[in-house]
Parts: sequence; structure tokens; C-alpha cells
Amino acid sequence: MGLPLGRAPDEALLSGLATGDPEIAVAFVRRFQRTVFGVAIAVVGDAQLAEDIAQQTFERAWRHAQVYDSRRGSVRTWLTAIAHHLAIDAVRARRANPVAPEDLDALLDIVTQTPEQHAVAAETSAGVRAAVATLPREQARALVMAGIYGLTAQQIADMEHVPLGTAKTRIRTAMHKLRRTLGAEESLR
Amino acid sequence: MSEMTCEQLRELDAELALGILPARERARAVAHLDQCPGCREHIEQLALVGDDLLGLLPGTEPPVGFESRVTALLQPPAPDPAPAPAPAPAARRWLLRPRLLRPRVAAAAAALAVACGFGGWAAGTAIQASAPPPSPTARANAQLLQAALVTGGREVGRVFAHPGARGWVYMSVDLEKPMPEISCVLDHKDGTMTRLGTFSLQDGYGYWVATTDVNATTLAGARLLTPEGSVLASAHFA
Repeated sequence: MGLPLGRAPDEALLSGLATGDPEIAVAFVRRFQRTVFGVAIAVVGDAQLAEDIAQQTFERAWRHAQVYDSRRGSVRTWLTAIAHHLAIDAVRARRANPVAPEDLDALLDIVTQTPEQHAVAAETSAGVRAAVATLPREQARALVMAGIYGLTAQQIADMEHVPLGTAKTRIRTAMHKLRRTLGAEESLR
Repeated sequence: MSEMTCEQLRELDAELALGILPARERARAVAHLDQCPGCREHIEQLALVGDDLLGLLPGTEPPVGFESRVTALLQPPAPDPAPAPAPAPAARRWLLRPRLLRPRVAAAAAALAVACGFGGWAAGTAIQASAPPPSPTARANAQLLQAALVTGGREVGRVFAHPGARGWVYMSVDLEKPMPEISCVLDHKDGTMTRLGTFSLQDGYGYWVATTDVNATTLAGARLLTPEGSVLASAHFA
């Protein structure tokens, strides 16, 4: 028996996009639209712009499905990266100040919610979430500003009113702590 | 532009992996990575952390109508109107469903493979200037096998096979006539075959996915058969 489209592997749906079949396109979009739109709205904070970015993300995935390489990550991660790049570019082109302080605080709370608070947290993301939650607040802020909003170290230094070197150290320390934590978790699996 | 040392690069590793390094420093860092496999591996690992971070962003329901607006975009352009008389129903439907777009690998793959760089997807903007130019076909979805389904010298569909013990086979086919039951078999290089299952073609067109053990080194091809065993179409993996 074959699988219904709703249960087809992500990679199969991506491959199927190239056939131009509308039903496959619907299944693909339906599966990933919350993820893609979620990334876009988190970064740009504007529903109309986020929708444009999400549309562009799917269009790029459709046009470039052939370059997807499963060894480098899942389809969901690939789409997330495309949406993120587009969102960062859009923000850089439109705004002098890429993130409002209240938006940063709200997002920081979201990405550090514990699995108990976050009903749909997957096991893999739970480890990352917990690791971010254990970072000192200033490091977590720097990490989110750099990794999600795409701010440079200089922009972070300006926003946080700290020297450039301090901003760089916060980003680097946070990244390495996460890498060590996640690496240790992987070695235990 | 002076060369960057490993020590200097490691000081900038997080910014490079997250794609936030200013252009001048990024250019120097990328030049170093081209020559240093160790640092390259190091940045790849850090870039995965960036991917994980993005994975924490919550999903959000898009506005009403988003799905239909997007799927309308994901359709191939309509073919040029045929100057000939109106085709027969089956052929007309064929024209309306211009499936099987040729892989747009060449330029697109080169552009995206460079844009995505290496390692985690998030590394894209970090190192998009990274040489050397990739071989599109080598880098493009390297694990995925694909082949045309052919009957009478005419392509009627396409098969994709993803290797692995929990691999899968996906195919789309248009035989231009309804087929209530088609069976699909995989052919192996040692002459054995694996029967994957059966499916049907409504109006002659269908797509199908099955999970199965796929060995890239032994898989030779796939065939679609009638219930009586006649070959409807076959595909050969290169």
C-alpha cells in the first residue's frame, strides 16, 4: 500500500513539488506553513510582510528543491533557514532599528519556555530550549539578537549600551555553551 | 587583505556561523576556511547550533487564504497554446497538467548550493562567498536517486528513491488512461526484485509514495506492471 500524502515523508513531498502537481503543493504548504510563517513573523513582526516572506520561501523551495541535501538537515530546517534569510534581508532593507526592545523580551520568553510550559515542544528542541534558558540573561539576549534577528555585534553593542568587545564575547560565549550542552546530550544518546 | 590565522578565526567563529559578520571580516574568514578543513568543520558544527536556535521559534498560523495563494504560485507556467486543433480529452488533460518539470538544477543548484554554503543551513549568509564552485549535480540532493519512467520511448513519469533502511520511493506517472490497479516493483542489479505494492490511476494520472529499504548500490530500476504482469512503464537508475 502507498502512503496518503499527509503521511508521506517530508523529502518525498519536496521531490513531488517538482512535478507541478497541485495536490502535492497543497500537502507541502499545509505541512510547513505554520513553521515558515512563524519564523517570518517572529523576525519581521508585520503580518503582511511576513506573508510575503513566507510566500517567497515556498516559491524558492519549489524552484530549488533539487539542491536540498538531506545530509545537511531536515526539510523543515532547510525551509526555516530560507525563511530566516529572507526575513533578515527584509528587515535590514526596511528598518534602521531591526528589533524593538519589547519584541526582543517577548521572543526571549518564548524561546526559553521550559517544555512543561511549551505543550508542543519536541524532544530535540526541548534540549536547546533548556540550554538557552540556563544562559545568563545578557548572553541569551545577545544570542537571540544575533541568531534570530540577525543583528551584528556592533548593533547589539549599541542596543545594549556595552562595548563592542563585550557584545562579541556574549554572543560567542552563549554559542559555545549551547554547543557544549547539545554535544554532551548527543553523546549520551 | 592579510591572511587570517586559525586563532583569529576562532575569535569570530560564532558571528561567522550565525551570518552576522561584517562583509570585510567575513571575506577574510571565508578565505581562511577555503584553506583550513579544521576550521571549516568547527564552523559547520557551530552553524548547527544556529539552526537549532531557529527551531525554537513557535509556529504561527498564517492569514486566511495563505495556503491557496501560495499553492497558486507553485504551479508551472501554462504551456503555449497549441496551434493545432483541440486535442482529444486525454491529451487535453495532459496539457493542462504539465508535470514533470525538468530539474532546474544547473544555474539554480549552483546558486543555492553556494548560498547555503556548507554545514547547517543557517550558515548560508555566513559563507556565501565560499569557493570552490560546487558541482551542481554532485551537490544537489546527492542522496536522492531519480529516473524517468518511460514507455515506448516516451517519458510518462518520474521515480525518486531515497536510500536507507527506512528509505522511500516516490513516483508520479501519467499514462493517459484510468488504471484501477497498478503494481510497482523495484529491480535490483543481482536480478532480484522487490514488490512494493499496488496503486491506482484515476484519469490516468497518479502519484504514490511507499516506504521501503532502498540500497543505492544495488537498486537498478523500477517497473509498473498490470495485474497480469505486463510492463506499463519502466525506469533505470543510472
